[in-house]
Amino acid sequence: MKIDMVDGPGGVVVLKPEGRLNMVAAPAVREAVSSIVDSGRSRVAVDLSGVEFIDSSGLGALISGLKTTRQAGGDLRIAGANDQVKLVLSLTNLERVLTPYDTVENAYGDA
Amino acid sequence: MPEPLRRTVRLTTPPGDVNTVHDFLVELWPDVDSVSDVDRISIETALIELAANVMQHADSDGSGLTCEFTVVVSDDAIDMVVRDTGEPGEIRLVGAEMPELEAESGRGLALISALVDEVAYSQEDGHNIWRLRRTRTTGA
Repeated sequence: MKIDMVDGPGGVVVLKPEGRLNMVAAPAVREAVSSIVDSGRSRVAVDLSGVEFIDSSGLGALISGLKTTRQAGGDLRIAGANDQVKLVLSLTNLERVLTPYDTVENAYGDA
Repeated sequence: MPEPLRRTVRLTTPPGDVNTVHDFLVELWPDVDSVSDVDRISIETALIELAANVMQHADSDGSGLTCEFTVVVSDDAIDMVVRDTGEPGEIRLVGAEMPELEAESGRGLALISALVDEVAYSQEDGHNIWRLRRTRTTGA
């Protein structure tokens, strides 16, 4: 899976994975978040606008990233989810901890 | 639709993986354009979750696995049958519950239960066989 990493506003690091976030791709997302935290940054936005599909492995990677960033004093927020991602978040109740924002800018709009 | 549309893909892991199953579904949808978006999304998610579970748990020694995925689209429902040559399945499809919010795994089977109307498991002739059925939404 291709994952772009760029600096966003307010010191936020924006991760943009592309394609299917499934059991094949999930480890790369975990590693990307870990590498950001290891480099001393902990505010991450995951731009899901290029993700066409997510499964429970992909959700696990996002939860892993959420815990990793929060333990470092930051956060992980998601934006740009399509209907499939929103359905899966809803059915797993994970929208309570991974609120789907429309855009990366809105994800950290309170910052 | 006069006749149900039936498609099957057979794969061996490795190199086959969940993307092989996903590609199979992506190729199938244009031939059944009456399937609604919510049905399509639900079927893709349920079948990929089941495929991932079969590939992870029925092949604990990593020696590889042959599995066959069949999808049948009829007027009122979409049926999926997954048959593998793996170890006897202990995958619990019925009554699976969502884990706590912080859990990083364990959601797949509960997700399948939420996406389809019927789930069944059996062992026949040395194969694990899972059957999923989703009643199609109306007004597609």
